[in-house]
Amino acid sequence: MAAFVFLLPALLGLIAFQLLPMVSSIFISFSDWDLLSKWTQIHFIGWDNYAEVFNNEKSYTSIKNVFIFLVGYMPIITMLGIFFAVVLNRNIRGIKFYRAAVFVPVITSWVAVSIVWRWLLNGQSGMINYLLSLVGIQGPIWLQDDHWAMVAIIAVTIWKDIGFVSIILLAGLQDISEDYYEAANLDGASAWNKLWRITIPLLSPTLFFIITISLINSFQVFDQVLIMTNGGPAGATSTIVEQVYRNAFQFNKMGFAAAQSWVLFVIIFSVTMVMQWLQRRWVVYER
Amino acid sequence: MRDKNTIIKNGLTHLFLIADSVVLVFPFIWMLSGGFKDSLEVVKMPPQLLPSHWNFDNFRQIEKFFPVYRFLLNSVGVAIVTTFLQLLICAMAAYVFAKISFKGRHAVFIVFLTTMMIPAQVTLVPLFILFSQTNLIDTYAGLILPGIFSAYGTFLLRQNIMTIPNELLEAAFMDGASYYRVFWKVILPLIKPTLAALIIFAFMSSWNSFLWPLIATNSKELMTLPLGLSKLQGKWSTEWNLLMAGNVISFVPIFVVYLFAQRYFIKGMTMTGIK
Amino acid sequence: MLKKSGVFLLIAIMVIISACGSNKGNNAESSAPASSASPSESASPSPSESASESPSDSPSPSKEPVTIKFLTYTANGQEETLKAMVEAFQAKNPDVTVDYEVVPYADYDTKLTTLLASGSEPDIYEVGYENFRKYAAKDLLLDLSPIIAADTTFNPGIYKKLAYDAFNYNGKQMGVTESFSDVVLYYNKDLFDAKGVKYPDASWTWKEELEAAKKLTDPKAGVWGTYAPIQFYEFYKTITQNGGGVFDANGKPTLNSKANVDALQWMIDKASKYKVSPALNDDTFNQPDADLNAFVAGKIAMVRFGIWNFGRFKDAPFKWDIALEPGNTQKAHHFFADGLVASKNTKQSEAVWRFLKFFTSDPDSVSKRIAAGWSVPAVADDAVLDAYYKQTPPESKKIVIEALDSLVLPPVGPKPEKWGELQSAVTEQLDKAKLGRVSVQKALDSAQKSVEDLLSK
Repeated sequence: MAAFVFLLPALLGLIAFQLLPMVSSIFISFSDWDLLSKWTQIHFIGWDNYAEVFNNEKSYTSIKNVFIFLVGYMPIITMLGIFFAVVLNRNIRGIKFYRAAVFVPVITSWVAVSIVWRWLLNGQSGMINYLLSLVGIQGPIWLQDDHWAMVAIIAVTIWKDIGFVSIILLAGLQDISEDYYEAANLDGASAWNKLWRITIPLLSPTLFFIITISLINSFQVFDQVLIMTNGGPAGATSTIVEQVYRNAFQFNKMGFAAAQSWVLFVIIFSVTMVMQWLQRRWVVYER
Repeated sequence: MRDKNTIIKNGLTHLFLIADSVVLVFPFIWMLSGGFKDSLEVVKMPPQLLPSHWNFDNFRQIEKFFPVYRFLLNSVGVAIVTTFLQLLICAMAAYVFAKISFKGRHAVFIVFLTTMMIPAQVTLVPLFILFSQTNLIDTYAGLILPGIFSAYGTFLLRQNIMTIPNELLEAAFMDGASYYRVFWKVILPLIKPTLAALIIFAFMSSWNSFLWPLIATNSKELMTLPLGLSKLQGKWSTEWNLLMAGNVISFVPIFVVYLFAQRYFIKGMTMTGIK
Repeated sequence: MLKKSGVFLLIAIMVIISACGSNKGNNAESSAPASSASPSESASPSPSESASESPSDSPSPSKEPVTIKFLTYTANGQEETLKAMVEAFQAKNPDVTVDYEVVPYADYDTKLTTLLASGSEPDIYEVGYENFRKYAAKDLLLDLSPIIAADTTFNPGIYKKLAYDAFNYNGKQMGVTESFSDVVLYYNKDLFDAKGVKYPDASWTWKEELEAAKKLTDPKAGVWGTYAPIQFYEFYKTITQNGGGVFDANGKPTLNSKANVDALQWMIDKASKYKVSPALNDDTFNQPDADLNAFVAGKIAMVRFGIWNFGRFKDAPFKWDIALEPGNTQKAHHFFADGLVASKNTKQSEAVWRFLKFFTSDPDSVSKRIAAGWSVPAVADDAVLDAYYKQTPPESKKIVIEALDSLVLPPVGPKPEKWGELQSAVTEQLDKAKLGRVSVQKALDSAQKSVEDLLSK
């Protein structure tokens, strides 16, 4: 009973504002709706949109690009996030300033950020290539080069997200009692040992959250792509949600966009379920 | 011996954090100074750190595009209401998912998670139709409602509540506390740092929310800041200096919220903590 | 502390909820027209048809107060002007209230399609030429032809004919041109003088441009002779200057024709062979507005820019002017038209037509538009445009209008709804050619194939 009362508001909102539109989008995915005719005149065409998703070269490219993004982004943001959180958890002078600094990119808008990064990443006069030239490397034209654009997108996204990840992990670190570390110190444990034996296991519920959320978000990477490269050059940074957005609102293929979204859904759902299953092996809730 | 070690480590930490702060904050500094530059100077390469002359007029020029104070006020109001309601609703649901078991709980929780897995672009139109059928378009209620339910927040708080030892709750129940009392007096105080983090993120996501306010409002009396900022990018050209000035305005409130919430991250650990 | 802030938040919520309530009161006014428009959704299409004919039956329409909704994107930054124009209209038409909304350009399609999808589109909305073709093909627009035929006070001759005809779809006038933009050749007179090169004029072709550019290019000083980006819009204009095109007269795609291949090769050669433009692996000009900055800094002698940039060079520390673009076998200039259309579901077609007329061509409204430097109205009367010509620099402002004699419309093709996809398919191949991943011929062969596939679906 109490469970029901506590859950009720969230459940109502979930059904009305999320599940209902989601179910509608399933119906839409079986239609050729162009968003120009009224919704009451929607016309269903069976599985054609789904067949098209698997025949469409752009769908493949964009899904492939998303996996490239994931492979580059996930390990680095996770490790870097733990590192930052641990460092920011130290009680040193000026820590508040540092904690604020790390969060500044998170709240600076992509539009503003993109301008300065496009300069930093510029092939001729950019800072990055200047630094590379000091060690004798001739840098590419990053965002304009189809081989390097995604690498640049990954790097900038890590730069922007690191504050978000480390602040959540920092909040998780607050719950770990110092007693554990003091006991470990008495045993003469090394810093490395303490990280793996105390910090990571006790942080694992938060870590699990961060990894799951980052995965779900990465699969839907969109804003930075639209603003920094518009999916180019030559489609090298085109992502699945970027395709969904274009198909829905620019190409007037809402049905197809919905089908693409549901294919994406199946992928994300499967990965999340694997994560849920794996968590038993490494996430520690009981203390 | 130990003290010497500590000093070196502190020094290294500072060194790292300062270098890192420069990298993280530089674009922001540039945005700040860009707000005072002339329109072409903003995008000049290489960028100038300071404007060649300080152009305070930019902030007035924005008014030509949208009523800044009205939009700002709407954004602040919407974000505060959204944050507060989202925190409450998420915490209540998270309590259930973490500590009150019932049959099928895990399945319901998974359904919650699935709502994060579909791009907002495809649920936007059905949601709009739902709201226009119920005459909620162009009202504050319509603007706020979809933002207060967050699977993300529920998940975050649930992960934290799970780590609260059951013995603690059982002890409270033994003392005759009700579920409500346990929720308010035991659970919430124990997850303060995470609640503080969620305050930041709930506020931020409401603050940056764009697509929904775009289609859910028609009158200027209801529009929010991101809609205004988007107006600064025209069909033919963009006034980058105005865009930077606008982004500076947009940055301030959320940064204040961050500083406010940060106080709930307890003072950090002493050096004996992690080495 | 948390308790305190909780109380604070509660108060804030109460204040806002009460604000919501009071706002609902205010809304009564503005929501009334919305609800009066909504019956048109449920009703059969016939009332709107009869409504469109009603003005011809009754030349003096009943003056019952009506509200028309109007959605626009070009008014960003010109809302004061828009307001003044709407007020001027309302003063002359006291029975009509215009409820306008200005939407950010980048998100205009998202908003408009959502409104269309839910059946709550405004009576009047602004469209560019490309979207006009799409919406007209999808039968969303009110055919104005019968209203125009019945309106004895109206003479289409007040508009530039080509601009007016751009909003004619299969013989039906389904929109009215509001303003236009084009692209011309800007040149830095000081650089020309320094090298003793004659200024560009209407007789110039690519050959003269190249010769001049070679003389003007000065690698040591970082000065480029000529510059134009390699992207889709520049591509379809340049191939037209070479006698090519995206489609032939029958609407068949001809992307890999000889003329097109040569034109794209020319675009690339300017950089890689003749070195009068920045190298293709030089991405300096890919930064936002970097080309504008380079022109202001005196680093480009000739460049193709839109006429919307005039204001940016007002304070340039050198003399500059504009000229017609050099072509190869023929001249070609961009033409970007924005117009107003009416929804075929509107119940207020008579009031809508009065507003369309006023907003796009009435001297009262057009002069406000010019005075505010908003955009160039597509009216034919030189006396009206005189105010525009007088706004200098550039001195040769009439070039803006002369360019229209050789205008090339966006090649929307036989299936307007595929325009967006067509554009992105060709862009992808242009990128590849520019990066040197494939030859020009191969890039355009692939573009041809994808456009053929696109149209066959």
